[in-house]
This record gives sequence, C-alpha cells and structure tokens, in this order.
Amino acid sequence: MSPENPSPKRSASGTPLDSGSQALAEALRGSFAIVKFVMGVLLAVFLFSGFFTVGPQEKGIVLRFGRPVGEGDNAWLGPGPHWAWPYPIDEVIKVPVSELQEVRSTVGWYHQTAAEAAMNTPPPNTPSLSPVTDGYVITGDENIVHAKAILRYRIIDPSRCVFEFTGNTNGGFGLAGVSNAVQNALNNALVYTTAHYSVDNMLTYEKAKFNEDVQRRVNELVARENLGVAVDQCDVESIEPGALKDAFEKVTGATQDRNKLLLAAHQSAFATLSTAAAEAASITNRAESSRSNLVASISGDADLFQRVLPRYQANRDLFIQQRSVETIGHILTNLNDKIFLPTTRDGKPIELRLLLNRKPPKSKTTTGQ
Amino acid sequence: MKYKPLTLAVGALLIVLFVLLLVMFQVRQSEVAIVTTFGKPTRPITNPGPYFKWPWPIQKVYKFDQRVRNFESQFTEDFTSDNNQLMTKVYVGWRITDPAEFFPRFAGGSVTKAEQALDDMLAKAKTAVVGNHPLSDFVNADPQRIKFDAIESEMRSYLESELSTNDYGFKIVFLGIKRLGFPQSVATKVFDRMTSERNFLSSQLENEGKEQAAKIRSKADRDAAEMLSSADAEATRIVGRGYAEAADTLRTFQQNPELANFLLRLSALEDSLKENSTLVFDQRQPPFDLFPWVATNSVSR
Repeated sequence: MSPENPSPKRSASGTPLDSGSQALAEALRGSFAIVKFVMGVLLAVFLFSGFFTVGPQEKGIVLRFGRPVGEGDNAWLGPGPHWAWPYPIDEVIKVPVSELQEVRSTVGWYHQTAAEAAMNTPPPNTPSLSPVTDGYVITGDENIVHAKAILRYRIIDPSRCVFEFTGNTNGGFGLAGVSNAVQNALNNALVYTTAHYSVDNMLTYEKAKFNEDVQRRVNELVARENLGVAVDQCDVESIEPGALKDAFEKVTGATQDRNKLLLAAHQSAFATLSTAAAEAASITNRAESSRSNLVASISGDADLFQRVLPRYQANRDLFIQQRSVETIGHILTNLNDKIFLPTTRDGKPIELRLLLNRKPPKSKTTTGQ
Repeated sequence: MKYKPLTLAVGALLIVLFVLLLVMFQVRQSEVAIVTTFGKPTRPITNPGPYFKWPWPIQKVYKFDQRVRNFESQFTEDFTSDNNQLMTKVYVGWRITDPAEFFPRFAGGSVTKAEQALDDMLAKAKTAVVGNHPLSDFVNADPQRIKFDAIESEMRSYLESELSTNDYGFKIVFLGIKRLGFPQSVATKVFDRMTSERNFLSSQLENEGKEQAAKIRSKADRDAAEMLSSADAEATRIVGRGYAEAADTLRTFQQNPELANFLLRLSALEDSLKENSTLVFDQRQPPFDLFPWVATNSVSR
C-alpha cells in the first residue's frame, strides 16, 4: 500500500543490514502494519460515526460549530439516514416533533392520595381546602371550584421550540422547555377564564363556552409568547367542591323543578290560546256567514218584492188574501199539531187548556229508519 | 532514524488539533458566552459559531444557556386593597441576554443565584400589585370590571423596571398568574357563603318558577280573552258591513213600504212556525172560515 516500501527485504534507505537489525526492522515493520491497520479502522469508525438515522416521528438538525446547517425550516431533516461530521465539528439534535404532545393542568384539581387516584375516587369531603395541598380555582363571583384541563398540541416551529426554550436540563436540546411553557399557559388559561365566569355559568349554563374560552386564552398566550406550537384540542373538566355537592345538587333540582313548572305553564298557555284562537275564528266565520245570509236574504226579498209589485199594484186586496192563505197553507203542512177550534153557536170561543210539556220530536235518523 | 512523510503529517495534524482544542471554542445556537482574561470578563459573545481565545490560563470561556427558562414564584399570601387575603403564584419566562452583565452579577453566572434574585423581585412585585387592587379586579364575572390582564402587565412592568435599574443581564419574556387561592381560614368562610348562596338560590328558583308559571298562565288567559273580544268586535263589524251592503237593496222596498211590510210579516210568520209548533185556530181565521158548520174538535196529526 505504501510506495516507500517497495521490497520487504530492504530497509527504507536501501542499505543491507545485518541479521539482528533485520529482525528488529521486520518486527518494527510488523508492528507498524498493525498500528496502520488500527489507525485505518479508527479513521473508518470516526467517519462512520457521522451516520445517524432520524426516526419516523422525529426531525433532526445539524449544528456545525454551534450554528444550524441550513436556513429556517430547510435546516430540519426528515426521517431517514443522514451524515454529519463527528463531534466537535457537528452536533446532531433529534426531537420527536411529529408526535401529538399532551400537557395536563397542574392547578385547580383536588389532591388525591395514591390510593384514591388508583380507585379514581375523590378525597373525603372537608369543610375547607388547604392552599398547600388542594388545588382549586376562583370564579368571578368568588366561589371555589375545581377544574382541570388536558391540552393536545403539535410542534409547528421546531427551531423556536428547541432553540428558544429550555427545560433547565443543563443545556440539552429537547421539548421539555416548550412543554413547560405550554403547561403554564394552560394553567393560566384555566385560572384566567374561571376568574371571568360566574360559578353557575362555568359549571352549568355555559360549560361549552367555558371550554372554548380556556382554549382561546391558551391560543392567545401561545401566540403572544410565540411558543411555536399549535393547539389541537383542549378538554376542560370542572366540578363543585365535594363538601358543597349537596347544596349544588339542590339548586340543580330546583332548576329542573322550575323548568318543569314553566313547561307545564307554557303548554297550558298554548292550549288556552289555541282554543281561544279557534273560537275567535269560529265567531268571525259565523259573523261572516250571517253577513252573507243577510245580504242574500235581503236581495232575495228584494227580488220577490220586485216580482210581486205589479200584481200587488193591480189588485191589492186579492193579492194580500191570496198570499195570506198560501202562507198559512205552507205553515200548516209543516206543523206538528194543528188544533181547530170552531166557535160555538153563540159566537163565544171554546175554551182549551194546554199542558205545556211537549215531547221531544223524534230525531230524523230514527224516522228515516 | 528518519521520519516518513505520513508519520510527519499525522504528527503535525495531532499537534494542530491539540492547539486548536486549546484556543478554539464554539458557541451553540442556544448559548451566549463570555470570555474572561485573567478572571476579568472581557468579551461577550451572543452569536453562535466557532471562536478563538488565548489558551488557559490566560483566557477562559463561560457559556450560558440563553433560552427562555421557566421560573415560578412561591404561592404566597398578600392583602388586596380591600383587605382580602389572596394567595398568588406567578410563572415567568426569563432569559439571559447580556453575558457581560450576567456573569459578574451572579457569582460566576450562577443561574440559581439569578433565580433567587428573581424570586425576591417577584415577591415584592406581587405584594405591590396585589395591594393596589381589590379582590374584584382579580376575579369578576363582569368582563368590564375584571382587570386580570392589567394586573399581569403591572407585575411584569414592576419586574422590568427593577431589571432596567439594576444590570442583571437577563430579561422577562412573559409573565402570567399560575394560581389564585385563599388561606384555609378564608376558604372555610367562602364555603359557608357558597352554601348559603346555594340555599338562597334554590328557594329563589322555586318561587320564581311558581311566579313565572302563574304569569304565563294569566297572560295566556288575558290574551285569549282579548282574542275573543276582538273576534266579537270583528263579528259586529262584519255584520255591520252586511247591513251596509244590503242598504242599496233595501232602497228597493221604498217603492211600496206597505207591500214590503206585508211580505216581511208573511215570511216572519212562516219562519216562526217552521217546526215543532202547535197552532190553534178558530174558524174566523182564513182559510178555516171556509167551514163554518163544523162544531166539533178536529185534531190531525
């Protein structure tokens, strides 16, 4: 491999050597070969140590003499194998940015012992809360309630997350710093939003809006503090203190009772009004039909009048007699009872006594059958 | 013995590397550094990259993480301006900005010492700002009256004025309230108040429900009555309109009122005796005057 050693039998100077020196030279050459081999291997290891793999959930960045290689987002390497100079020239940073990150609020919820947490039961009710152990938040109307939140977010600007925030980890690179900042933004959002809400709106009437407002505040802080993350989802849970559970339930019960009362009242009001509306409609309809009856009957009468007027004018008495008799004839055919009382010979009328208790007329259906 | 060129090259490289290690250092993206000459800070470095210095013991480099650090105050109790006891805990994001100021200020750039100073400042800021506000500025359901944001920015500007008058070499990036609370004795009173508020509320709801239900019912009754009376009025109007419409026709009867009267009487007579009527006649009544000889009762059905 080396041009300096054309023949193993000769030294570098080409001078023939005695056997002892030759043996020494041989031994030296042999050990040199080993040293060379080891050096070659070391060099290879040195160069190969520059290979690194970025995992599927990760992004990587190379710092050359402390400065990122590449500009902005282009500096970040996607999943796959990559190569960089070994330390101290280059330094490789890998962060799991594609994973959905999650933080939980650390203020506002009651303290559970390990046993209670395992059983997922709340702690026993106490008539007060200690600021040292118990978390709670204060509502706008100075009530004490418990609230907690889970926030899911993504890293959208890894450079900001990694190079602008530290988790106090001795200069290492990671997402702990930004996670801390997001967590405190969430804590602040919880305290802030609760401070703006009355206890009833927060726990009962505007639960969804409360959740939205917490998320809005987190978004606001994330933008203001430029954390380089995007919030995906925020779930808030809030509850009254255990000691006041009965008192709160009483109000809930009273609310339901009131709603039931109101519903019943509305229903009966609706029934009253629709009955009245129907009746009003029938009143006006009746009026409408009596109006048209009136008009029609008067115009019918007028027609009749016009027709009979010439006959009447021709012979008034005859007409009157004719019509009277005709009418009485009509009447008589329709009458139920007709009683004729002839006068006695002396011209006095005959006395007649009536029992005014008429039987109801037979209904028409019965007569029909 | 003579040296081969390769050996020479390797030797030279090793020497160069050794010297470089002595005189070179790098500042990472996340760091700032200060170079001290015989212990005195002489050269601050705020941009990342490779740099040269004189070898130890002449010059020495101190590097600081310049990224935003999270720090939280104690959860301590202060009096609000309306004499309520309120406990507050505040978090701040702070970062080292000027290594030349930071390094000499905090015994060789100790972050722990800096945090102690920050803690003292925060405690003072909290006492000052909490004392300036009534409790209703911290928590208030009325968005016009709550001053949560203002309180946070007052605390921040308090810290910032402290920082600008003293050369600490770090700055506040953000500040927020992390927790609000009451001392335990106050919390007990709050619980009592909440209980009585709940009791009041439930009895109020009960009464309110009854009252509103009664109101709804009586309003419906009133509306129904109104509807009926206005329907009656409308009916009268409708009938009146009928009379008005008939007025033209009625003029026809003026031609001979006597005949009109007669016809009217006839039809009234006919209408009134349409059904279920019993009529008693004597023989003077036409047409029964036709049989004057009959002297017995005759009932026909």
